[in-house]
Amino acid sequence: MNRALFRLSLACLAMFVLLLINVNYVQAFESSSLSSKPGNARTFDEQFTYQRGSIVADGVGGPLTVADSLPVKGSSTGNTIYQRHYPGGAAYAPVTGFDSVYGATGVESAYQKYLAGTAPDLAVHNVISLLTGKPKQGATVNLTISPKAQEAAYQALEKDGGHQAAAVAIDPSTGAILAMASVPTYNPNRLTTLDGPAFVKIDNKLLADPSQPLLNRAINASYPPGSTFKIITSAAGLSTGKVANQNSTIPAPEPLVLPNGNLLHNDDDENCANGDPPVIEAFWLSCDTAFAKLGIKLGSATLRDYASKFGWNSSSLAIPMPVSPSNYPLLSDPSYTAMSAIGQYSDTVTPLQEAMDAAAIANNGVLMRPYLLQSVVAPDLTQVESTTPSALSTAVTAQVASEIKQMMIAVTQNPNGTAYLTANSSVAGVEIAGKTGTAQNGPNNSGLDDAVFTCFAPASDPKIAVGVIVKEGGYGADAAAPIAVKIIQAYLGVH
Amino acid sequence: MPRGRRRTELLMLAFAVCVVLFAYANVGYGLNGKLPPGLAEYGLSFAAIVLVAHLAVRRFAPWADPLLLPLAALLNGLGIVMIYRLQQAGRNGNAGIQISTITPSTTTAQVLFSAVGVAAFIAVLVFIREVRVLQRYTYTLGVIGLVLLALPAIPGMPNSEVADTGAKIQIGIGGFTIQPEQFAELALAVFFAGYLVAKRDVLALAGRRFLGIDLPRARDLGPVLIAWGASLLVLVFESDIGTSALFFGLFVAMLYIATQRTSWLLIGVLLFVFGAYVASKLFGHVGERFTVWLHPWAGHNPTTIAYQTVQGLEGLGYGGILGTGLGHGQPFWTPLVQSDFIMTAFGEELGLTGLMAMLLIFGLMVERGLRAAVAVRDPFSKLLAGGLAFAIALQVFIIVGGVTNLIPLTGITTPFLSQGGSSLIATWALIALLMRVSDTARRPAPQPIQDEGMTQVVRAG
Repeated sequence: MNRALFRLSLACLAMFVLLLINVNYVQAFESSSLSSKPGNARTFDEQFTYQRGSIVADGVGGPLTVADSLPVKGSSTGNTIYQRHYPGGAAYAPVTGFDSVYGATGVESAYQKYLAGTAPDLAVHNVISLLTGKPKQGATVNLTISPKAQEAAYQALEKDGGHQAAAVAIDPSTGAILAMASVPTYNPNRLTTLDGPAFVKIDNKLLADPSQPLLNRAINASYPPGSTFKIITSAAGLSTGKVANQNSTIPAPEPLVLPNGNLLHNDDDENCANGDPPVIEAFWLSCDTAFAKLGIKLGSATLRDYASKFGWNSSSLAIPMPVSPSNYPLLSDPSYTAMSAIGQYSDTVTPLQEAMDAAAIANNGVLMRPYLLQSVVAPDLTQVESTTPSALSTAVTAQVASEIKQMMIAVTQNPNGTAYLTANSSVAGVEIAGKTGTAQNGPNNSGLDDAVFTCFAPASDPKIAVGVIVKEGGYGADAAAPIAVKIIQAYLGVH
Repeated sequence: MPRGRRRTELLMLAFAVCVVLFAYANVGYGLNGKLPPGLAEYGLSFAAIVLVAHLAVRRFAPWADPLLLPLAALLNGLGIVMIYRLQQAGRNGNAGIQISTITPSTTTAQVLFSAVGVAAFIAVLVFIREVRVLQRYTYTLGVIGLVLLALPAIPGMPNSEVADTGAKIQIGIGGFTIQPEQFAELALAVFFAGYLVAKRDVLALAGRRFLGIDLPRARDLGPVLIAWGASLLVLVFESDIGTSALFFGLFVAMLYIATQRTSWLLIGVLLFVFGAYVASKLFGHVGERFTVWLHPWAGHNPTTIAYQTVQGLEGLGYGGILGTGLGHGQPFWTPLVQSDFIMTAFGEELGLTGLMAMLLIFGLMVERGLRAAVAVRDPFSKLLAGGLAFAIALQVFIIVGGVTNLIPLTGITTPFLSQGGSSLIATWALIALLMRVSDTARRPAPQPIQDEGMTQVVRAG
């Protein structure tokens, strides 16, 4: 029996070796990633005993500190306790999120490991400050947010009068997010209390609010894109050769008889250039029947393919907060495809995606990956991390992008363009290329229309792309475009 | 002439007591910056308990292995220290916040349980002078083991459910709760040893040969199927996956020692994997353990079903390589940390270093047990010692592997460390059995009469 006993000893040895390897893995290799897990009670409790890193809006108009930690006087234990403070208040809430005793949101959560100083990249710096006797401190997170664009966006949305709305601005050539505003919002300073029960009370009140102030509509709410989707329908038509160029005529019957027998009318039953317009004219007038018919010709699969090239249908996009996917679903019924080609039926889009649609056109067809992080700077002022802009996809060729750019310029510059009155060069002080959307919604379109606007400026040398959605705001040109114009003016410094 | 090495044992015991007292003082300094109250009382009573055990070994098992008792004493003592530390709990050193599942007298109770455990240890040494006498009671102990195992599952048993876990593994007797399965393990190990020694020749008979492995005859599959069925019943009726795995593993290992047939091992492992798979599909609580094991951080898991595992892992991570030091960690976040998850508390406060040292102590204990099994001649004692030593290894593997998420978590006690009397007492009795076997193995044979120099020489005329 001794031979079996020896073998059994080997089995025991194997079990202990496995345990030893595993505890080494957990405690030596995983230790830092475990300590930066969201909701880690042990490190969370500890984080109030040292100064958490600041969040800085470092874009045009900055740098502006939008989150920092201040010592609280008279704490019961006698140790210094730090409390979070948001000098930017509600305007920056969709960006910063908040850091509370029960968890964090927004950038506070996404860059927790840097702000709390637990990231592996910061380990050396922490050891050095420990040895030199300096108090432990988190790293500063610099964001691409431009205080000028952000504040303009927030104020324009706030003045709009009680609608649920959001606006996003990005730099088309890099993907850097310049502004991300959402209303109604909340004041993050109300959630920084170190008193747990008090926090729960305020948090529950915000959670129960039907206007959903905690929801970041810029990236986590989606709405029907309406006519702004015609950018993608046009991109698909021009890229596949189904439409030769911006001056090719396409049929625009009034009404269009859909394959299922239903009739689709243009807005106010208007006759679109006698039913035979060049695609650029159909675009500036925003003729529904022209693009619906083009959509049937292209088919749902092609439209979905091009939507995806613009960043739609992706559930993995993160800035680094996860972005809700904008959906263009595959449809089998051509009647529904017709509706989807003009941004109706089941299409949904986030304000960020609206900005990305315009940005891809502005950047000669190359869609840059949107990001918020400019750099991370350790307490000893060395930079430990920064973002290198990278392309997310090529949406269209430079040639097609240039054609669509002309079409978008016509929307604001042609006297018959849908956004001429609210966004032409003399109103805006800069040449804007854009597309309006007025999306019907609700059962049988009983709801108020959502106003959508996507654009970039200056049209000749794009510096900023903006997407705005105002829920139940009415016409895109009237409700959404002026907000985009204000953001562009503030960012570019024109009036 | 071989030596008893009792002096080595005494020296090692003194060392173990010093380590334990040092750890206890450390907890006081860690929590309050001063020596903890009761250092003398706890220290003296612990030293006294250990000394009595040593004296009993000197008297009743002078040739026993010198390391087993110090190793057991060290683990038992560290367990008491950790329970004392958890009883003080305290967020930011605040003694006002206590772990809700620990009462103010928990540490005292644990010291008393240790005394009872050592009493059981001494009783085994006194009453069982040779392990092989137990062979006579093979079937009696088998029945007792099964009854003990089945007790908590009988409907109407008082307090059968452990709070917050849903496992039905204890019974209430006059204000105390007992977990009879801890004692069932010992009784069943004796039964397995007796049964297998009697039947091993038959079980080792080869049947068909398949893929280079001699399969046993179909009619000999009976015992392994019965053991498998019994362990599945424990799983189903008492919701206790760990114990079920432990019993079945013990049985298969002893079957292997007895027959030396690899085929039995394979059949055992296959049956267990199959049983576990079916159980995970049929019973929600078993399937849940698999979900937590595979995706502890997924979605809402960290806040609900995986909460305990996640807290244990975060505790280990918080400890890192050198640990926070006793009293400086925050093990109180982990629910029921004083029982199944006590190793994560050690990992948090003593670090990877301390945790590895404690695992090595367990490993050494298993090694001493296996050594006794190899050395003893009598097949019954050999089988029993081998099985019991393996049972310690398997139990440590199941629970430590579970709390570190190496394998799915199944709640069983950590030998000597977890809070609670039944496990502690039963493990002390187990150590006594191993020491008795090693005493038998190392005892020198009676002196041959020829060596006596004074024998009168009769010369033939």
